[in-house]
Amino acid sequence: MVTYSRLVLLWLLCCVGILPTGCVGDDPALVGGSAPLTIQTAPGRLVFDAKTSEIAVKVTNNTDADVFVSDFRIEGPDWESFMITDDVGSSALAKGVSVELHIRSQTADFVGGLRPSAVAAEHLSAPAPAPDSFREGSAKLVFGVAQVRRPDDVQAQTVPIRFEESPWWMRYALPAAAKILLLVMAFIMPLASFLTWLERKQSAMMQDRVGPNMANISLGPLKIRLWGLLHVATDGLKMLFKEDFIPKRAHRALYTLAPLFGLIPALVVFAIVPFGDAVCYDGLFDTLTQADVDQCAAGRGGTPMQIAHIDVGLLYYFAIASIATYGTVLAGWSSYNKWAVLGALRASAQMISYEVAIGLSLVGTLLVYGSLEPHTIVHAQMDTYWGIVLQPIALVLFFTAAIAETKRAPFDLPEADSEIIGYFLEYSGMRFGLFFLAEFIEVVFVSALITTLFLGGWTLPFGVLGASGFSSALACQVVFALGGLLFTVLGVAIWRAHKNGEFVGALVGLAGLAQLLVAGWSAVTGWGTELPHLAIVLIGMLTWGGKILMLCWLQLLIRWTLPRFRYDQVMSLGWKGLLPLSIANIVLTAVVVYFMMGSLPA
Amino acid sequence: MTIGVKKVSLVRTTRDQIYLPAIFEGLLTTARHFFKNTLTPGMGDVDTIRYGEPEVDVKDYYPDRFRGVHRLMHREDESVRCVACMCCSTVCPANCITIEAEDRGDEREKAPKSFVIDELKCVVCGFCVEACPCDAIRMDTKEHMFPTEQRGDAVLGKVDLMSRGAASVAVQGGISADYRADAPKGDPRFDHDPH
Repeated sequence: MVTYSRLVLLWLLCCVGILPTGCVGDDPALVGGSAPLTIQTAPGRLVFDAKTSEIAVKVTNNTDADVFVSDFRIEGPDWESFMITDDVGSSALAKGVSVELHIRSQTADFVGGLRPSAVAAEHLSAPAPAPDSFREGSAKLVFGVAQVRRPDDVQAQTVPIRFEESPWWMRYALPAAAKILLLVMAFIMPLASFLTWLERKQSAMMQDRVGPNMANISLGPLKIRLWGLLHVATDGLKMLFKEDFIPKRAHRALYTLAPLFGLIPALVVFAIVPFGDAVCYDGLFDTLTQADVDQCAAGRGGTPMQIAHIDVGLLYYFAIASIATYGTVLAGWSSYNKWAVLGALRASAQMISYEVAIGLSLVGTLLVYGSLEPHTIVHAQMDTYWGIVLQPIALVLFFTAAIAETKRAPFDLPEADSEIIGYFLEYSGMRFGLFFLAEFIEVVFVSALITTLFLGGWTLPFGVLGASGFSSALACQVVFALGGLLFTVLGVAIWRAHKNGEFVGALVGLAGLAQLLVAGWSAVTGWGTELPHLAIVLIGMLTWGGKILMLCWLQLLIRWTLPRFRYDQVMSLGWKGLLPLSIANIVLTAVVVYFMMGSLPA
Repeated sequence: MTIGVKKVSLVRTTRDQIYLPAIFEGLLTTARHFFKNTLTPGMGDVDTIRYGEPEVDVKDYYPDRFRGVHRLMHREDESVRCVACMCCSTVCPANCITIEAEDRGDEREKAPKSFVIDELKCVVCGFCVEACPCDAIRMDTKEHMFPTEQRGDAVLGKVDLMSRGAASVAVQGGISADYRADAPKGDPRFDHDPH
């Protein structure tokens, strides 16, 4: 199947005349080799297929005699990465006979020859391949041809190898932009705004109050209120139209920059969060195997559902999270207000203390799963158990430290409304709004990280949902029946409990009934073990989103339940509680992992 | 009655020191409230009276003795009951009542020519109602002081005050109410004849 991306690429290249028009078909013209002993290969210019990481070549003896072909090898800066899988060795090739040859990349993550192996780079002084998408002649297939009558008279024949893959913007920029839009713009930002409402409404519900409920849209006599959900919009409008106040003696530049230092790191860390396995462009409606999806996750014919698939993974998070400290410190210092400076001081001390605990509490997890890369960690959890089972102590420690890192109650010393108002004391309007939003984005990120490291990311429990479908029809029925029951009960409850709640209640209830129908359908037909790829991706993303929502709710619950620590208690909990416990967890985990080396993926 | 002393141990147990059980209990309590209030009809334990909602009438929730905006009561012929005795304006601690008296024309009583209450000055103490000898001024409208754009709009005159009024069932002092004639015979309180 010709991929969509490849079609676009070829079309573009043909348009600008880089490729000769016959680029898709055979090219009988051969490079090198003298006339009588030229063996025809099809296609004439070999193409490295980035998706299968393979070069398929058909060698045909079109001369008028039997020949020996021997010593197939790849030459070029990337030759170390390849091996010839079909051992044709040195064989006689009768007149008019063809042989198929497959040249495969040895390394699984070899993408289009962009990473020459170290050995090759060392031994060959060839210039490093230019990082563009189309390189011709950087590698070539070389083999010797000799006439049977004169086996010593070997003539070398070379065929250039073209590395074909999408251009960088097709491979990286476009999917990344799409994923940023999907994750950050369509999920994180709305969810953070939603949390500003949920925080007020949920606290009201926990304290037997009504909470925000007055904002509405009037459609004639009909007033749409949605339980005050529109306060999200009215709050945003209020922030935008409030006076943008800068204290007279404030450091104007830093005062302006500080909210960005708070917001941007909070958004940027989402780059490493995987919100699904991988999406394959081609087989959206086909049933794919895990091997197919792995290929897509490596960037061949698909893209991982993760903005940046980088090996440093969690280290990147630690690095960016410590930058977020600057936002609070600069805000407090540049405001020229002693209370703000106090808040900034508390914030920096607290965040730096708890960063240590955060880092160390995750080391045990890293020991178990043997990787820093979140996507890989989720896969490791799929293969074994979720982190909540393998590392429960790390979960508690990390959750505590992460809540402290978000500077929310019970760790809201930097803000401390009742004492010092906090580091953003002087801020007003949308500048304050950015701090406010950054706080909720951090809440979402903590949820995302806990989901990734301890709750199996996008996966359903017990591995019931694989890459090609549910593990059994029974698993499908159980999942949909449970989900359907939950949604139906919830929908009925919403319908009954709330004035004007009929519409939302009906929607939720219908979603539940639909799931029950699916479960019934599965029970009758045994359906569910082979699902289209698109459905798997969607179920994965919904699962991930559900876990995030649940954890956000839990964090708000904690924030409105526990009273604030005293400052010295915060410090002693961090340094004398969490830190020794995380080190103990590391030691314990290391010992256990050492003795179970064979049975865990570490 | 004896005073009991409840002794609370201040010794921290292991359970206290690992925090988590107590935290978990607290979370359960708040979560129980959350689910009860969101998922049961009538919003569970939420007792808030939804003032300001269009279908909620504030007056249903106020006690009978709630003191609201003043009103002046009517006689049977719809004229004002007030006899301009100045009791209310005298007792008013905020000096917000201004009465100008005139002859009522029945040779027995006065009547207010103007009766002005500055509701912005009013401290809603209700002394005027207590002081009134003939049930003319009342504060039982169960009506909050309404917001106004001009301060002058908060100064209520006789017409405004009477528009909230109604006929009183009390016997009006004055015309035809001859308490000396109606008084029980032999009651020493009514023996004294001023003339």
